[in-house]
Amino acid sequence: MTTSDTPAARTEGVWKIFQQEAESVQAVRGVSLTIERGEFTALAGPSGSGKTTLLNLIGGLTRPTRGQVWVAGHEVSSMSSQQVARLRLREVGFVFQAYNLLPVLTALENAEFPMLLQGVDVAERHARVRELFQRTGMEGLEDRRPGKLSGGQQQRVAVLRAVASRPALVLADEPTANLDSATSEALLDVMAELNRDLGVTFVFATHDGRVMERCRRLVRMVDGAVGEDERRT
Amino acid sequence: MIFPILVRLALRNLRRYLRRTVLTASAMMVGGAFLVWSMTIDRGSHEQWVDSGVRLGSGHVTVERPEYRLRRRIEDRLTADVSRAAERALASPEIAPHVVATSAKLDVNGLASSAAGARPAQIVGVDPVAEADFGALDDEVIEGRYLEPGDRLGAYVGVDLARSLELDIGSRFVVQAQDAQGEISGQLLRVVGIFRSRVPAIDQGTIHILRETAGEWLGSGGDVTNVAILLEGSSATAEVASRMERALSEPVARGEARVLGWREANPVLADAIAIDEFGNYVIQGFLFVIIAFGIVNTVLMSVLHRQREFGVLRAQGLTPGQTGTLVLIEGLTLSAVSGLVGVGLGLLGTWYFFGDGLDASVFMQGMDELTVSGAAIDPIIVPIFGVRLIVQIVVFILAIGALASVYPALRAARVDVTEAMKFDR
Ligand SMILES: Nc1ncnc2c1ncn2[C@@H]1O[C@H](COP(=O)(O)OP(=O)(O)O)[C@@H](O)[C@H]1O
Ligand SMILES: [Mg+2]
Repeated sequence: MTTSDTPAARTEGVWKIFQQEAESVQAVRGVSLTIERGEFTALAGPSGSGKTTLLNLIGGLTRPTRGQVWVAGHEVSSMSSQQVARLRLREVGFVFQAYNLLPVLTALENAEFPMLLQGVDVAERHARVRELFQRTGMEGLEDRRPGKLSGGQQQRVAVLRAVASRPALVLADEPTANLDSATSEALLDVMAELNRDLGVTFVFATHDGRVMERCRRLVRMVDGAVGEDERRT
Repeated sequence: MIFPILVRLALRNLRRYLRRTVLTASAMMVGGAFLVWSMTIDRGSHEQWVDSGVRLGSGHVTVERPEYRLRRRIEDRLTADVSRAAERALASPEIAPHVVATSAKLDVNGLASSAAGARPAQIVGVDPVAEADFGALDDEVIEGRYLEPGDRLGAYVGVDLARSLELDIGSRFVVQAQDAQGEISGQLLRVVGIFRSRVPAIDQGTIHILRETAGEWLGSGGDVTNVAILLEGSSATAEVASRMERALSEPVARGEARVLGWREANPVLADAIAIDEFGNYVIQGFLFVIIAFGIVNTVLMSVLHRQREFGVLRAQGLTPGQTGTLVLIEGLTLSAVSGLVGVGLGLLGTWYFFGDGLDASVFMQGMDELTVSGAAIDPIIVPIFGVRLIVQIVVFILAIGALASVYPALRAARVDVTEAMKFDR
């Protein structure tokens, strides 16, 4: 089931309704979407269109109100929270908008953290992380704590952390929103390269034109539903 | 294994909030040290209360007839074979090592009279050598001396009784009591010593005479009314009492003897200690609550500050349980380390500063005398360190630490990841 011919993720008629006192908000409304392995996809749309919620549904951080979600062939909504946590550990990498490193760990320790949880041995962990640091121009920063890194460097470490454990897909919610234009471009270069060279699957939630431009698939969200789904080559 | 990773993270987190950690830890250390100090001193002072109380007569363990305690009459004395059996038991290898001194007495109520008047008195026939080891009265002489073997008519008299009967060293007076035949019988005595115990009831009514003299006077031969046993410490009371009971099971079954521990023999003293202990528990309870509050506060604060971090951990694949465990480890480490250091400091400090005794008389200025249920108490309190006491304190601190970390841990485990990761929080 976890073979690499299953899609990285798939949703089938998935709804998320937030109940708030009197009113209820339909954040995601019947989305059916398949993310194939190796995609470099952006979920685009105005603020409040449900991008973050959909990403959280795919990553198992939120349970759907209706519908189903598969990650690497595993159906998420029927799992216990421990099972979802384990699935996330193996198959999902997250990059958030900002401040998503653990401040008490060094850059290298942050990047190897999911592998540490997975039980990957130290030699393998360090080999993988050092290779990634090298590949992305982060050499020499391994032993710095996040507080001693720039915002762009922190986001790179977050990307490397998400990638290093070799998940089925990396979910990145507005990863460039806190970065200036040049830094954003550089981060996108890194992710595009990882996608191209290592086949890492990326799904972005974004309203940043620079991100949309570089994606090979653009899924437009309107009021919680999928509008256009455009593939480019 | 994720546990070592959690431990590593927990330690780093404690170091990260070093100031807060150190502050809380020092509060806990002071608390732990104070606990050790106060509990060992309390133990020491209670032991002293017991010691002073039991030396007044009944010892840690007493053998007497069931009816004796009520009226102290000669007819309620122990039979000769019961006292012999008690003596044999006391010499046995199971009991002897615990025993510091014993005193077999012929102790009756009677009347003391002189030309100046008559007063009720408790006339105690003793073996002066054994009694000197057992009790403290012989050291409280203010005039003359304590009894010696061969003082056939000698009497050692409480100061207030001597005053009211206008007795001096060498004065003659008469004691009267019911004898073994049920007749009122008198005995002429001569004062060899006057004592002041500072316990009013004793100074006003106690007379020591030789046990042989008492036996002749009351026609009871070598019989005694009670055998009192002084132990090396009150903790051996239950064991020695039950061994004595077994040794005397037959006369006990026949109703000719019973074995009392000091609590039963001195219920007022036992109550006084229980009340004092209760007071101490209340104070210590407050202290525990304050310590617990400190931990809850520190741990909870750091949890509330780190919502986003817990969100990150959960997004990386940590379960809610593992996230809560991380917080538990932080709280437990904090309380274990500071608790142990505090207990260590408390032990060292108490031992160093008060090992030779704490002079509690400074707390009692203006008070003439400290007496507990009729026993005068030495104001020098020597702390008692017991392994069990220390273990209790450590376990208690750990329990408090664990309990105080549970709520913050639950909060951490229940973090809503999507909420925590919202950027504009
Ligand atoms: N936890 C929540 N409780 C209630 N409403 C929510 C919650 N999270 C999101 N929403 C609502 O759902 C809608 C979609 O939000 P979101 O997925 O964050 O959109 P986007 O990421 O595209 O800005 C918005 O109207 C938002 O207010
Ligand atoms: Mg969003």
